[in-house]
Amino acid sequence: MNSAEQPLLKLENITKRFKNLTAVNGVNLEVSSGEKLVIIGPSGSGKSTLLRAINLLEEIEEGAIIFEGRQVGYVMRAGKRHLDHPRAISTLRAEIGMVFQHFHLFPHMTVLGNVMEGPLTVQRKPADEARTIATDMLAKVGLSDKRDVFPATLSGGQKQRVAIARALAMRPKLMLFDEPTSALDPELVGEVFDTIHTLADEGMTMIIVTHHMGFARELADRVIFMESGNFLAQGTPEELFSAGQDNERIKGFLNRLL
Amino acid sequence: MALLFLWALSGACLAATDYDQLFRQSSDLMAQGDLGGALELLGTVPPPAAGEEAGAYVSSRMQAARILAAQKETDRAVAACREVLKLFPDNSEARNFVTALEQQRKPGWHTVLSDTLRFLPSLAKGALMTLLLVFCTMLVSPLGGLLIALGRISTVRPISGFCWFIIWFFRGTPLLLQLFFIYYGLPSLGITLAPLTAAVIGLGLNYSAYLGEIIRGAIQSIDHGQMEAAKAIGMTYGQAMRRVIVPQTYKRLMPPVGNEFIALIKDTALVSTIAMVELMRAADQLFNTYFNITALALAAVIYLVLTTIFTFIFEKIEYRAGIYEQR
Repeated sequence: MNSAEQPLLKLENITKRFKNLTAVNGVNLEVSSGEKLVIIGPSGSGKSTLLRAINLLEEIEEGAIIFEGRQVGYVMRAGKRHLDHPRAISTLRAEIGMVFQHFHLFPHMTVLGNVMEGPLTVQRKPADEARTIATDMLAKVGLSDKRDVFPATLSGGQKQRVAIARALAMRPKLMLFDEPTSALDPELVGEVFDTIHTLADEGMTMIIVTHHMGFARELADRVIFMESGNFLAQGTPEELFSAGQDNERIKGFLNRLL
Repeated sequence: MALLFLWALSGACLAATDYDQLFRQSSDLMAQGDLGGALELLGTVPPPAAGEEAGAYVSSRMQAARILAAQKETDRAVAACREVLKLFPDNSEARNFVTALEQQRKPGWHTVLSDTLRFLPSLAKGALMTLLLVFCTMLVSPLGGLLIALGRISTVRPISGFCWFIIWFFRGTPLLLQLFFIYYGLPSLGITLAPLTAAVIGLGLNYSAYLGEIIRGAIQSIDHGQMEAAKAIGMTYGQAMRRVIVPQTYKRLMPPVGNEFIALIKDTALVSTIAMVELMRAADQLFNTYFNITALALAAVIYLVLTTIFTFIFEKIEYRAGIYEQR
């Protein structure tokens, strides 16, 4: 299999259990380079957990994560699964950008400082180079004028755009968006979607968990409907959102949202 | 000539016995509470003629002066002393007594001021030692506290257990006992420490234990999302702690740490028990030497000045540390 055909990310039988709840139940998934995948589904269906499992913020009990053809995150030692060495995990995470529902900007750093932090501390780039990268990324999300303020002074939408710039500064190969607009006032959602759209147009591979069906329909190459830790259905937006959707659960879910 | 000398000598002896009688009588009158009578009796001792033995006269006037001073008759007491000084200007007993009486007649603030000037140098030296102890402990204990805090959070059981033990021990026993153990106890194990070293080790360990819990609380109060965001851009645990989590604790740490350091300023008084002369010990020494309460009052004022300065500094630092939270 040559690299053009090889999926960027492959998940095999991912299973995550919390105490007495199976959040993700043996899920398989392939994401090819440049694909925009949207995961929808009711709260507690395991969407966020799956996303967090990909960059190892959640430790899975079973399954394999294969990134660029290499199995990552876990090693077998004496017949038992163990998390890989912290360095190896950090290296993987540096290649996968993540945007959180609640932004999680570093409040004690300026906007520029937030975006510079990855290149500076993780990639150990010289300050000048890190600053140049950060300045470019802030320009891309349209916040060049906010570079020297602290996050506390920004609106929710601006915070989320800075968070996107912070992730992009690492030049990730894959971007994970965990409900990026759920914590925003409705009038601020648009600016964040526009930013994500720009990225999509540039060919960024992305997995987005969202409750905004309009956005999913507009952006996605493929939509997955997840419930109780399983993929109930997947397909193009047209297939999933069509009036002729015959799966009662999906229909019910979509009707409640629309 | 020799005869004349003999006569004079015998007269003096005779006179001396008479005066002994007189002093005994005046003492008896004093014992009966008849101070007026005693004064009258003492007043009968005549000034000595030229060349005559003067001991009885001086004694009688000084005794009168003491009685008068005790009755708060300062003017008459001074007058009695002056009678002596008229004949013997160099009599140090009379002169000192006059000085002391004059001092008493001056307003209270004057006495306090001169005491203050007298005590201040040694108290200042003690205060410097106190400051040295405070600074050394302030240098050591935040680092120790951070290590203990990180150890407590650690998922490696032996490390978190060890740090738990350190906190348990140093928080659970009196600082005084710890200082005694380090200074007086360790020599029996073959470790002899200078007082300053022992004091800094004792204070340092004790305050590290307290600060450890404060720092742990501050670290754990930082939103968990901060650690996740730091990890998500590829930071290791150490990088995330150093760059993201710990810097955010500074503002929250300032009020309780300020509390601890102000307690520390006063806790340094305990090291006076292990042969260190700091502010408390200096004041205590002055108090014991002069039995003068001013020394203690001055020490209190110096402690207050130190704690006030520290309070202001910590308020400033807290403001600066939280400047990013302002909108």
